[in-house]
Amino acid sequence: MKLTSDAQDDPPFLLTTSPPGRSQERLAVCVLVVLVGPLLITAPFARVPLTNTEVLLPAYAGAVFVIELITSALLFALFSIQRSRAVLALSIGYLFSGLMVVPWALTFPGVFASLGLPDAGLQSTASIATLRRLGFPLFVLAYALLKNADPSVRSSQGSARRIILGSVAGVVTIACGLNWLIVTSDGALPRFMSDARNVSELWQYVPATAVFLYLSGLVVLWTRRRSVLDLWLMFVLCTLLIELVLLSYVSAGHRLSLGWWAGRFYGFISVSVVLLVLLSETTTLYARLARSVSAERRAREARLTAMEALSASIAHEVNQPLASMVTNADAGLRWLGKKNPELEETRAALKRIVSDGHRAGKVIEGIRTMFKKGAQERVPLNMNQLIRNVLKRNQGEAQLGRVSVEAELDEQLPLTTGNPIQLQQVVSNLVANAIDAMSSVTDRPRVLRVKSERHASGTVLVSVADSGSGLDPESRDRIFEPFFTTKSDGMGMGLMFCRSIIEAHGGRLWATDNIPQGSIFQFTLPDNEDDALPTAGRVR
Amino acid sequence: MSSEQSVVFVIDDEPSMRASIESLLLSVGHMTQAFATTQEFVLSERPDVPGCLVLDVRLPGRSGLEFQQELARSDIRLPIVFITGHGDVAMSVTAMKAGAIEFLTKPFRDQDLLDAVHRGIEIDRGRRAESMMLAELWQRFDSLTPREREVMALVAAGQLNKQIAAELDLSEITVKVHRGQVMRKMQAKSLPDLVRFADRLAADTIKP
Repeated sequence: MKLTSDAQDDPPFLLTTSPPGRSQERLAVCVLVVLVGPLLITAPFARVPLTNTEVLLPAYAGAVFVIELITSALLFALFSIQRSRAVLALSIGYLFSGLMVVPWALTFPGVFASLGLPDAGLQSTASIATLRRLGFPLFVLAYALLKNADPSVRSSQGSARRIILGSVAGVVTIACGLNWLIVTSDGALPRFMSDARNVSELWQYVPATAVFLYLSGLVVLWTRRRSVLDLWLMFVLCTLLIELVLLSYVSAGHRLSLGWWAGRFYGFISVSVVLLVLLSETTTLYARLARSVSAERRAREARLTAMEALSASIAHEVNQPLASMVTNADAGLRWLGKKNPELEETRAALKRIVSDGHRAGKVIEGIRTMFKKGAQERVPLNMNQLIRNVLKRNQGEAQLGRVSVEAELDEQLPLTTGNPIQLQQVVSNLVANAIDAMSSVTDRPRVLRVKSERHASGTVLVSVADSGSGLDPESRDRIFEPFFTTKSDGMGMGLMFCRSIIEAHGGRLWATDNIPQGSIFQFTLPDNEDDALPTAGRVR
Repeated sequence: MSSEQSVVFVIDDEPSMRASIESLLLSVGHMTQAFATTQEFVLSERPDVPGCLVLDVRLPGRSGLEFQQELARSDIRLPIVFITGHGDVAMSVTAMKAGAIEFLTKPFRDQDLLDAVHRGIEIDRGRRAESMMLAELWQRFDSLTPREREVMALVAAGQLNKQIAAELDLSEITVKVHRGQVMRKMQAKSLPDLVRFADRLAADTIKP
C-alpha cells in the first residue's frame, strides 16, 4: 500500500488520518439501512400531533448541547495535535451548533412559559433553527474542502492553544450576537412561521437550501474520503438529511408531531455519532498503542539480555590476553630488576606480551565484524545459496581435514529474511566446528552433512551433522554458554554468538546426537512468507 | 628464599598466561611445574616437597572449582590459589569455603599472587610437618604392647598408679614398670608430654 506523500508525515493512527476498515464501512451502511426503517414506519402517521410533548424538548436540547460541546472539545484536542485547519473548522461547527441549541429551546413557544420567561417573538425559534441547520453543513463543507490542502499550510503561526481560545471566543461572541439580534428584532425577521405550530410558505426555502448543502457536503466528502472521520461525517450528513425530510416534508413542518419527533430522533443520532466514533476509536487506538508499547519493551529486554551476554563474553575475551600481558610485564620487570638482569627471560616475557596484544586485536576485530554497519539489515535471502557459499569457502579446510562434504539442499526451500553476513557467520561457524570435531577420528569416515529443508509451517531448518566424537550430555547443555569451550584453543564464544544471531532472527539453535557417531547442530528460521518481519521482539 | 625446597604447580589452559605465571614465579626463585589440564596434573610425577597450586577456574572440561573438590576427596591436600577471568562473589565464596588460600581476578597484581603462593607454601609446610609428626607418633604408639596401651590411656586420663592398678587388676609395681616403658617408647620427657601425644593421637583417630 502506497501512502500519498502528504499523508506520510501525519501521525499514522489519528482519526483524521487512518483509513476506515472494511468492517467500519459495512457497519456505517448497515446502521444507515436500519435507520431508514423508523422513517418508513412513522411516515404514514407523521402528522399526528403529540400534544404536551413540549416537556421533552428541554431534555432533548440539553442532551444535544452537551454532546455537541464534548464532540467539539475532542475535535479541538485533535486539532491541537494535528494542527489541521479542517479539523478546526469542524470543531467550530460543532461548537456553533451546540451553542445555538440553547436559545432555540429557550425561545421555543410554550416550553419555558412556566418559568416565566417572556415569550420571544414568533419567528425567533425558526430563525435560530435556520442558522443552526444551514451553519453546520457549511462547516462540514469547509472541513471537506480544507482537509486535503492542509499539510502545506498546516504549521500555522501561533500556538494551538491561542488558536483554540480565539476560535471559541469568536464563536461564542458571534452566537450571542446573532441570538441577541434575533430575539430583540423579531419584527425584522423573515416570516417563517404562520403560528406557533405551523410553518409558512417562506420556510420551504430553508429545508431546500439545507438539503442542497447536505448533498454537496456528501459529494465532496465522497470524492475526497480517506479517513475514518470522513466516513462517519458522511453518515452524519445522511442522518441529518433523513431528519430534515421528516421534519420539513413528511410532517410538513408540524411542530411536535410524530414525524417531527422522529426527525429529532435522527438529529440526536446524527449528533452522537461523531462523539461515539471519537471515543471508540480513541479507546481502540489506546489499546493498540499499549500493546505495541509492551511489545517494544519486551523486545528491548530481550535485546538487553543478548547484549549483556555479548558484552560479558567480549569482556572476558579481551580480559584474557590483557591479564596475560600484565603478568608477563610484571615478570619481565622482576627479571630486569635482579642484581644480574636476566635478559633472556625478559625477552621471552616481552615476546609473549606482543603475541597477547595481537590476540586481543583479533578478538576486537571479530567483534567489529559482528557489529559492522549493516549488520542489523534484514533482506530476503536464499539459504541454499548461502550454504553453498560457505561450503565453497571451507573446501580447503575440509580437504585438509580429510572430511567428505555432503550437501542435501531442498530446492523448494522458501526464502528467509535475515542478515546475510551474520547468517553466513553462523553457518560457517557450525561447519568449522564440525570439521574440528572430526579431527581426531581415525576409525571411521569423516563426513560433514549439511541439510536444508522445510520444517513445520513457516520455518526453514538447516542442520550441520558430523561424524566426530559427539558431545557428552553435560557439555551439551553448556556449549552455548559464553566462555564454555571443549577445544584447547577455543574462544568459547562462537556458539554463543551463533545462538544470539539465530534468536535475533526469530529462530532457534540447538544440538543433538548424530547416529551412530557425532553430533548435529540445527537451527530454524522463519520463512519470508510470514506476514511480520522477524524482529528482536521474537526472541524468547 | 625458602629454607627448604618447594614447588608451585600452575594449571591454566591459556599457554601465554601459563608461561607468564611460570616466569613470574621463577623470577622470585620458585620451582614451578605447569599444566594445561587437570588430567596432566593428576598423571604427573610430583616431587614430595611443600607446594601450592595456582588453579584457573575456567578450564576445558572440568572447572577449577570441581577439581578442588575432587582433590579434597582424593586426599591431595595442596593449598589452592584460584585465578579467574570473570570472578563473581558466589564463586569466590564457594572456593574460599572449600579451603582456597586466595581468589584472584585477572589481571591481578603480581605481589598478590606471590604473597598468596608464599602463604600457601608455608601452610603446606606446616601441614606436612604436622602429618610427619603424627606419623612418627603412630609409629611409636604401634611399638607399645596392648597392656602398655591400656596403661597409657589411663595415665593420660589423669589416674594415679594405685587407681590404674586397681582398674587393671595389677600390682602397683607392675603398673609403674609399664608406665616407664610407655614413657620411654613414646619418647615423652614428662607426663604433660605424654598427655599431649595421647590427645593428638586421639584427635587423629576421630578426624578422618
